[in-house]
Amino acid sequence: MFNETVLKEIDEIRVKYPDRKSALLPSLYIAQREFGWLSQEALLCVAKTLNLPETEVRGAASFYSMYRHKPAGRNLIQLCTNVSCMVLGAERLADFISRKYGVQPGGTSQDGRFSLVIMECIGACGTAPAMLVNTDFHDSLTEKRIEEILEKYK
Amino acid sequence: MITLTINEKEITLDKPVTVLEAAKLAGIKIPTLCYHEALKPYGGCRLCVVEVERMPRLQTSCTLMSADGMVVKTESEAISKARRGILEFLLINHPLDCPYCDKAGECELQDMVNKYGASAGRYKEEKRKVPESHKDQILARNMERCIVCTRCVRMCGDVQGASAISIIGRGNRSRMEPFSSAAFNCEYCGNCLTVCPVGAILSRLYIHSFRPWQLDKEVETVCSYCGVGCSFVAQVRDDSIKRVIPRFDLGLNKGLLCSRGRFGYEYISSPERLKTPLVRKHGKLEESTWSEALSVVAERLGHIKKTHGGSSIAGIASPRCCNEDNYVFQKFMRTVCGSNNIDSISRTGFAAAQKYFEDLLGQGITANMIDGLKNSDAILILGGDPTAINPVLGLSIREASGRGAKILVLGNAKGLERFKTLHIMPEVFKEADTLESLLIGIYNARGTRGEKPAIDHGIKSLAGKTGARTAVPEFDELMMTLLESKSASIVFGPDLVQRTDGHRSLFAVSGLTYLLEARLYLLSEKPNEQGVVDTGCVPDMLPGGRPLNVYDFRRKFEEAWKGPVPAEDGLTLFEIIENAGAGKIKAMYIMGENPVFNLPGGPYIKNKLQSLDLLVVQDLFLTETAEIADVVLPALGWSERTGTYTNLERRVQLQRKTVETLHGMEDWRIISEVSGRMGCKMSYTEVRDIMEEMAGVSPLYRDITYQEIGKGNCLWPYHGEPLRGEMKTVPAAADIEREHREDFYLSVEKPLFHSGTLSGKSPALMKIYPGPVLRVGASAAKKAGLKEGDKVQFFTQTGSREAVVSIEESIRDNRVYYSNNFKGSGALGLMTFTIDEVTKAPGLEGCEVKIKKL
Repeated sequence: MFNETVLKEIDEIRVKYPDRKSALLPSLYIAQREFGWLSQEALLCVAKTLNLPETEVRGAASFYSMYRHKPAGRNLIQLCTNVSCMVLGAERLADFISRKYGVQPGGTSQDGRFSLVIMECIGACGTAPAMLVNTDFHDSLTEKRIEEILEKYK
Repeated sequence: MITLTINEKEITLDKPVTVLEAAKLAGIKIPTLCYHEALKPYGGCRLCVVEVERMPRLQTSCTLMSADGMVVKTESEAISKARRGILEFLLINHPLDCPYCDKAGECELQDMVNKYGASAGRYKEEKRKVPESHKDQILARNMERCIVCTRCVRMCGDVQGASAISIIGRGNRSRMEPFSSAAFNCEYCGNCLTVCPVGAILSRLYIHSFRPWQLDKEVETVCSYCGVGCSFVAQVRDDSIKRVIPRFDLGLNKGLLCSRGRFGYEYISSPERLKTPLVRKHGKLEESTWSEALSVVAERLGHIKKTHGGSSIAGIASPRCCNEDNYVFQKFMRTVCGSNNIDSISRTGFAAAQKYFEDLLGQGITANMIDGLKNSDAILILGGDPTAINPVLGLSIREASGRGAKILVLGNAKGLERFKTLHIMPEVFKEADTLESLLIGIYNARGTRGEKPAIDHGIKSLAGKTGARTAVPEFDELMMTLLESKSASIVFGPDLVQRTDGHRSLFAVSGLTYLLEARLYLLSEKPNEQGVVDTGCVPDMLPGGRPLNVYDFRRKFEEAWKGPVPAEDGLTLFEIIENAGAGKIKAMYIMGENPVFNLPGGPYIKNKLQSLDLLVVQDLFLTETAEIADVVLPALGWSERTGTYTNLERRVQLQRKTVETLHGMEDWRIISEVSGRMGCKMSYTEVRDIMEEMAGVSPLYRDITYQEIGKGNCLWPYHGEPLRGEMKTVPAAADIEREHREDFYLSVEKPLFHSGTLSGKSPALMKIYPGPVLRVGASAAKKAGLKEGDKVQFFTQTGSREAVVSIEESIRDNRVYYSNNFKGSGALGLMTFTIDEVTKAPGLEGCEVKIKKL
């Protein structure tokens, strides 16, 4: 179950809406932050906290692809391979990350340090290739620059 | 007034409805898939599209409200093309395995494709592959066939209120799943089965066992499990019931069923059914012939009557038997045996409570339409969980909650967890105190109504006593909610009757009903508890509720029955048992009841029954009581005979014979055979004759006919008249003081999936709920160090059982629940009882429990 602070945080979200259902999506983000991903346990916690049916919570969570539905590493790399990034070699960069850190697209490295997700456009075509690491934005990527950046994420 | 034109036909509407419904009213059919009359409009499948003048694009008629001057076309080239296109899309991932699919022949998608074409698709890629899931024991899921119309999900969430399934994933990966993605953890109402238009949800009870067109016959009948009396259609092939399906235009349940009704019908073909009469010879029950067994009963009853008098014979009727059976039974006891010692197990709840309420508030006070619950703005629920005892009535409470009604729950009620507004948890044995305080609170705020002197006086003297005796949290809020309500309902379960001071709760509820002008609903666990009372299977009333001790009434029945009826009131259920053997009761005739298992204090009762000179039992199975009988007579069960049930709202309903059977006899026929052998011939040739006689003598059922009952029109007050006076004073008994010592109190669980021991013979229900568990509340378990799955032994003063612990969040106090449905492990056998002096119902005692971990 969530601790007191998290329960309070969800409560604050809940009062913003006329019904409990509306607080579901933000609460799922909190659960994801707390559990790392939306496990059965995380979904149950949300259901119980909001007093919503468990299946309804799972149904909503499974609809959205930006929730994590399997365990993720400590840091999430989201690399764009859309047109501009691809033209400037993003696919090679994806291979580089895979080789260097042992993490396949859609997978997690064995040490649990990184998860890699191939993204559609993140709106940085002018300074492509670009990626997000957790919530931090990085652009004009090269293999060397990636190495330097990822060094900071343990 | 709205006037619109559909297909050049002018339609006038009194109130705004959707275009689809307007078309339906005018007899114009628009094809639909996601629409269902029992569900809210969804607009998902797009098949019901129509052309509306001056509106761009095609419109979904199921969501479009009709407006004045609208001009609608439901068929055109463009519409056909759109529908064909949608069907082509639906078939992209549909496996087209109709030759193998159970639904073929009654599949809405199949019919639709047949009508609108799209037989050849342009989609050439791989179809979605999902193996059929048989992880659940009752329901199979085939998600290849699913067209994601979400009818099942909406049924489960919006109507049933269980919300056990949802659409998981999105796009072409969407599928209906329960939370676990494997077995369902739900109420197993099976209402999802009814609404599935394709073969995506299937019942494993009959999967691959027949085709819809191979059924021999369909019979409209009434369920045999609880006092709601849901109607459904039993479909028969080769003289066995293949399945039961509800119809949305049939009966009070409007297409809904519960797990027992839908999946519990198989008990009737159980191999354990009694096949021949049994007679005790040299201490052992041995198979016998009908003529021998009936003669033995007649001879020995006659002998006992001669030596000890008629009042040494007692009869126990059954709320599982039809009105006709019970009527003939009490007539036999009164005129042939010469005894008024007739009662039934309804004494432990329904009959006792109803008599009290009617004596105070007038006859028919509990005859309220279940449907009316939906219109209440506040519902007070006490004495049990309505969603488990009378599940379909429970759905009305859930619907009321959805309409904004305040749901006020007193005590534990798992099925209302997500629906309740307020939950009050009185201490064990202190329920009456809480209710009395509530009554006094309401009285202080509002005064009395001055219409019924007995209650007015009772409330005033109660208020004068000590004022408010108990305060529980949320008490004020409860009181305010009730005072503010304009159309309150009270739903009263049997648990509160089963207290030694149960009459105090009954008075408080009567007072609340009176002061709040509330509608009172009395929950009924068995299908014909009302009928047992109405047909006179009570020691003090003749059929129709006529008091026995009034000479004029008695004389009328004596004339009609052509025999004397004893004048003095008979003994009630527990007085009969107490007087068995050593006392003055020498013989007992039990029809369709199992007192040894179904009453508290089992070992004591068994002992008493064994000391009788003669014990005759009529039943479907060799029950614990039948095992100690001198003669056992196999009866016919539900679906094997025709008869009527009177449900808890006093609606008389017809149960029709559905299948033929080789063994057993109707209950009424057995009794009239015995009667004939005792020298009093009863002249019934078929069950209809009995109803005719009842309609003639019972002022309650005056002029009722099967034809009328069959149409579903026989509702209170029938053609009858108010029948008996009201109590002048409120009876009272001495107060009982109690101290609380134990950590746990044993209560009888009333599971949703079982009803008495009958449901135990149904393989499907046994799969859902296979055996007893000890249900402990989460906080109480934590305190006692108990965990889910712990093996424990629990002790009362009179016995012990081993059980596995199941933790239940919805139990908020120190009550532990154990069922009384499984042979050899009933909770009632561990309890003792004392009698409530006023209602003569048993107060369950000896429920203090110690739990030892094993």
